Amino acid sequence: MIAGEFEFFAPPTLADALRLLHEHGSGCKLLAGGMTLVPVMTLGLAQPGAVVSLNHLQGLDGIEDIGHALRLGAMTRHATVGQHPLVLQHAPLLAAAARGIGDVQVRHRGTLGGSLAHAEPAADYLCATATLGARYLLQKQGSERWLGAAEFFVDVMTTALEPDELLTAVEIPKQAAGAGYSHLSLRRVEGAFPIVLASAQIAPGYAQARVGLGGVGPRPVVLDVGDVVQGGLTPAALDALGARAYDAAQQALSDLNGSGDYRREMARVYARRALAAAAAQLPTGGR
Amino acid sequence: MAFIGKGVPAQNSAALVAGAGLYTGDVKLDRMTHAHVVRSPYAAARILSIDASAALALPGVVAVITGDDLRAKGYAMPVEGFGEGVKPKPFDLYPLAVDRVRFAGEGVAAVIAEDPYTAKQASLLVDVEYEDTDPVVDAERGLAPDSPLVEPDWGSNVLFEARMTSGNAAQIIADAAHTVGGELHHHRYTGAAMEPRAYVGDYDPYRKTLTFWASTQCPHPMRTLLGQTLHLPENNIRVIQPNVGGAFGLKIPYFQEEALIAALSLACGRPVRWIAERREDLLTGGHAREGHFRWQAAYEPDGHVTALKVRYVADVGAPSALAGWGQCYVTGFALPTCYKIRDTDVEVIAVTTNKCAWNAYRGFGKESSSWLMDRVMDAVAQETRLDRTAVRLRNFIQPDEFPYAQNGGAIIDSGDYPKALKRVLEMIDYANFPTLQATARAQGRYIGLGLGQELTPEGCSIAGTARFNGWDGATVRIGPSGEVTVLTGVTSPGTGNETALAQIAADQLGIDLQYVKVIQGDTSICPYGLGNFSSRGVIMGGSAVHIAAGELREKLFKVAGRLLEVSPGDLECEDGKIMLKGAPFRYVDTRDVVTKIYSDCHGAAACGVEPGLEATRYFRHENVYHQPETQGRYSAYPSWANQATALIAEIDPDTGVIKILRYCAVHDSGKIINPLTAEGNVHGGTAQGIGGALYEHLVYDDYGQLTTTTFMDYTLPTAMEIPHIELEHQETLSPFSPLGAKGVGESGITSPLGALCGAVEDALREFDVRIDRLPLSPERVWRAIQSQGGRT
Repeated sequence: MIAGEFEFFAPPTLADALRLLHEHGSGCKLLAGGMTLVPVMTLGLAQPGAVVSLNHLQGLDGIEDIGHALRLGAMTRHATVGQHPLVLQHAPLLAAAARGIGDVQVRHRGTLGGSLAHAEPAADYLCATATLGARYLLQKQGSERWLGAAEFFVDVMTTALEPDELLTAVEIPKQAAGAGYSHLSLRRVEGAFPIVLASAQIAPGYAQARVGLGGVGPRPVVLDVGDVVQGGLTPAALDALGARAYDAAQQALSDLNGSGDYRREMARVYARRALAAAAAQLPTGGR
Repeated sequence: MAFIGKGVPAQNSAALVAGAGLYTGDVKLDRMTHAHVVRSPYAAARILSIDASAALALPGVVAVITGDDLRAKGYAMPVEGFGEGVKPKPFDLYPLAVDRVRFAGEGVAAVIAEDPYTAKQASLLVDVEYEDTDPVVDAERGLAPDSPLVEPDWGSNVLFEARMTSGNAAQIIADAAHTVGGELHHHRYTGAAMEPRAYVGDYDPYRKTLTFWASTQCPHPMRTLLGQTLHLPENNIRVIQPNVGGAFGLKIPYFQEEALIAALSLACGRPVRWIAERREDLLTGGHAREGHFRWQAAYEPDGHVTALKVRYVADVGAPSALAGWGQCYVTGFALPTCYKIRDTDVEVIAVTTNKCAWNAYRGFGKESSSWLMDRVMDAVAQETRLDRTAVRLRNFIQPDEFPYAQNGGAIIDSGDYPKALKRVLEMIDYANFPTLQATARAQGRYIGLGLGQELTPEGCSIAGTARFNGWDGATVRIGPSGEVTVLTGVTSPGTGNETALAQIAADQLGIDLQYVKVIQGDTSICPYGLGNFSSRGVIMGGSAVHIAAGELREKLFKVAGRLLEVSPGDLECEDGKIMLKGAPFRYVDTRDVVTKIYSDCHGAAACGVEPGLEATRYFRHENVYHQPETQGRYSAYPSWANQATALIAEIDPDTGVIKILRYCAVHDSGKIINPLTAEGNVHGGTAQGIGGALYEHLVYDDYGQLTTTTFMDYTLPTAMEIPHIELEHQETLSPFSPLGAKGVGESGITSPLGALCGAVEDALREFDVRIDRLPLSPERVWRAIQSQGGRT
């Protein structure tokens, strides 16, 4: 139950929403799926003066094929991302990530944009979209800008979004035909926040290989490891990859689910596993 | 057709599954107000002042009540403890903290408002000035002479201690050629009912009556306690228990909020409703388990354990009117569980700390006794290089030794532990497991098998208290149309015991189950009874129904005998007919007999028989011993269900993650009235046991702050973590209950603890990993492997 009164807006158009954001700035909170905002307001951890719901906006929840990439509206629910034919075909890694979030109810309420803008380091989408080389569209009254993951994610639960800016879309480059992918997570129980996440994508013939890690620091970490696996997934290559993941996880935080030390070790384990799982999907089976 | 033994679906399942259950939260009354509790942010602090003026100024606020207001009214809460001889040191307790707070989350004031949102908002405006003091957050440190004190008047933080000795364990261990010992740490966790605590109090100032709807397990004891607290005659109080969305022991009275909500209604003369938020329930709704064992055992090379010495320090949280801390006493009492070890020396120390008080949680301490014994048996097997099952079989109480006088004073009613263990080993194909394990290992996989042997004393019957005793009542009524109403003093937390009671009545009266309706949970309708705890629904309530229905059956037979011109003793009943034994064609419809009694009481068949068809009878369990001077023993537990469990788990050595591959169990609670609902109980218990062993943990920091106050942090297992449970029942009847039944309400929760520890050690044998602490989180298991050099 939420104590305290607040103004509530449900703008019908994006222009209305951006105008409200412009007027209220940091005094308002955006309500997408409410999977984080509602609990934190219930616990009294957030007490905004105004809440702007994005649930009545038209046109913010579509998935579009724009040629080289998919464009996903920020209000697209996890259940849609996880099952959409375009996502399954062109960004199956993202679909796999979406299918592992929370539980059935969460997946039907929670949104892509809500999760990314909240920027909880162990969220599936941070790791998955960063690994896929996504671009994020930030809009405000009168202007818009595209940022990559390295610019968009700033710190724990902090993004480049200005108080009057809204994340409206995400662009995911299409996965090359014949590529391999994986998205793995270590969780306490089904539906819990991951302790560690690893996403991997490998282009055919090992032309490119990328491993993303989540939950091992304030921001998602993406490792380009094409050089490591040039000669295939040899034990030495996997060891080198693991070592790189371990180094990249220096800022891993401790919490109830695992210490920072454990997370670093799991970064090593999951980076190896994710890349091996992705490689297993290549026509050559990773050999 | 006999209904006992048939897995008929629970009578209230359809309504509950359809969302048509009626819970306390569904109670809506005219002029109803809503309460919100202002809770202490400190674990230990003095309350310097409370300023409610800003809260009172908020439109819609009816009143703000503080602990001082309640003390002025004399609303002290009775603290009964756990009956005669098992009591805490004395302390004052009110529905809200007075002068000082003793745990983070304790209520210091309550806001009553016209709507729940205003109540919560106003609660944030109540300005409480505290002076915080050093909290006690660890039981062992709490025992140190220089520790701060939770109750300064006590002189120490020991709430209760007991020494239970049998024979000469210390000497035997000192002289023994072979001994083994260790430590074992159980962490703090609790049951998490879907429905949090909820109460609606409705005091009528004109009639001076209080109606109290409560998500509780014990309406009648609650009525008694409310009457004592609020100085109301008990017959002016009606406690109603609507459907309950899970209880697990944690809804046994007497919470401060229970007295509080009733007191608030008295204060404002209007109905007051309060429903705990999840955070409040995790913070203040009763915790369980946290404790530390140090143990030592003497054994012989053949695995025979000759003596056991245990020191158990339990962290029972703040002093309260809950009986939960009694769990540590029961842990000691139940040792050495299903084993024949004549020489035992058990020391139990309950230490109070500035944390949420323990309340009863399924298992009620017995889970810790059985877990400890599993660890002892596994350790002896390890030392002797004997098979783990051989050590258990060597030490079991044998089937021909029942009733068996266990060291703590209990008479264990019945059991066949070797048979259950041997059967579960067949189920899991124990003989072939080494091959399976070796094959897996060759593939780089680590699998292990673990054994859990649980013994669950039930039917708690404590001397000197009407809250936890060995009796219960039932009224059975046959109406003029032949329909049967059962009114019972036991209640259901949603587990289906009403269906079992209906089955018992139906069989006793030989009528179809569809004509039997069970009413429970209303003190103005049902006979005085103690409610639901300690797996007693069928043991106590079912037995009372059996004898009350038996009395009506005698009456029916008397009239039927006259109609059939045979002796009542030659009759039997089935399928709505009363018939001559051996000659079923000579029968009379039971309904016609009922009609004779109702409509023709001056006629030939019914004259001389007292009119009416209603019997109220009380059952007292006779396997209880409260007169040590004449009986040579004190025993509060009459009924002893047991279970043998074997599971296979796989450990990921790189991450420490445990996955249960197979779970087999043979459960024995005597006569099973309803296999379907019994299995449901065992499944639920098993899930909670696995949850406790692997996932659930209430974590306090050094300041006494609970850090796990949402289900994101307090990770409950889901259907994905719980394996398929292969379950069989063995029925070793109790000679002490009319139907041979024991309880099933706590079965299953215990054996995952020992079985998972055993499986992890077995899987990681090459690392020589020893498990002495729960929960088995991935990091803990991974670190155990690392500490032994890790995987190469």
